[in-house]
Amino acid sequence: MTTAPAEVDRPESDEVVVPDTPWTTVVWNDPVNLMSYVTYVFQSYFGYARGKAEKLMLDVHEKGKAIVSSGTREAMERDVEAMHSYGLWATMQKVGDRG
Amino acid sequence: MTAAFHQVEAELLRSLVGQLLELVRGEPAQRDPRQAGDPLAAAFGLGDDPTRPTDPVVLRLFPDAYRDDDESAAEFRRFTERGLREAKADAAAVVLASLAAVGPVEADDPLDSGGEKVRLHLDADEAQAWLRTLTDLRLALGTRLGVEEGDEQHWRALPDDDPRRHIHDVYDWLGWVQETLVRALSAGLD
Repeated sequence: MTTAPAEVDRPESDEVVVPDTPWTTVVWNDPVNLMSYVTYVFQSYFGYARGKAEKLMLDVHEKGKAIVSSGTREAMERDVEAMHSYGLWATMQKVGDRG
Repeated sequence: MTAAFHQVEAELLRSLVGQLLELVRGEPAQRDPRQAGDPLAAAFGLGDDPTRPTDPVVLRLFPDAYRDDDESAAEFRRFTERGLREAKADAAAVVLASLAAVGPVEADDPLDSGGEKVRLHLDADEAQAWLRTLTDLRLALGTRLGVEEGDEQHWRALPDDDPRRHIHDVYDWLGWVQETLVRALSAGLD
């Protein structure tokens, strides 16, 4: 149910603002990598404190995966590439995607 | 930091890392011979093969960056795989160089049945190269063997003359070497 719109003065604007869709980097569990090594990578590359790095590692180990970072698509591509250079298995996805 | 290996272990590492080097250097030229010799394409990272590797070991070293988006995964591969290969090859080369530059072999210790030991002195960059190369070695062997989470019983149950048993022993040993290296490096992070 709507009412007829009253006339409104619209401000002149050609601007269209499209928000960056947040992306995330996901690290997946694998049977080869040592837990100590995964924790080390999270501390070393992301600069996370040991406690946070260990928690993320345990999430990967116990739940099968963990979101380790978020940001623009370009930033996530850098993070995924870095994870692969460390031998971890990572993928990126838009927030809200299944996976 | 200092690492000490028995000569046999150092030889084994040399051999394995040499094979890894061939593996990471090998494929792109083999996938498309037309692109093998094009320096301009190489400079732009163009002409790189976006197709997913069929060798499971190569795929594990260079996995897909997108789960449900083959097109984006191919784009990502096209722009990053060459650089990742070079980085892994560079790290392997650093490890081989440090194995070649070992100090004098120590005299036999009558209490140590493993024979003569070699000592390596690694700076921070070399330690990083070892860390990454050990990971790549374990990924290669583990993928070849088909290791799975919690499958130690399976490997222990293999007969002694099963060649996979020996490879798995090497895989386990590499895990131990990496564990000690990670501990040494982690101490510097806290």
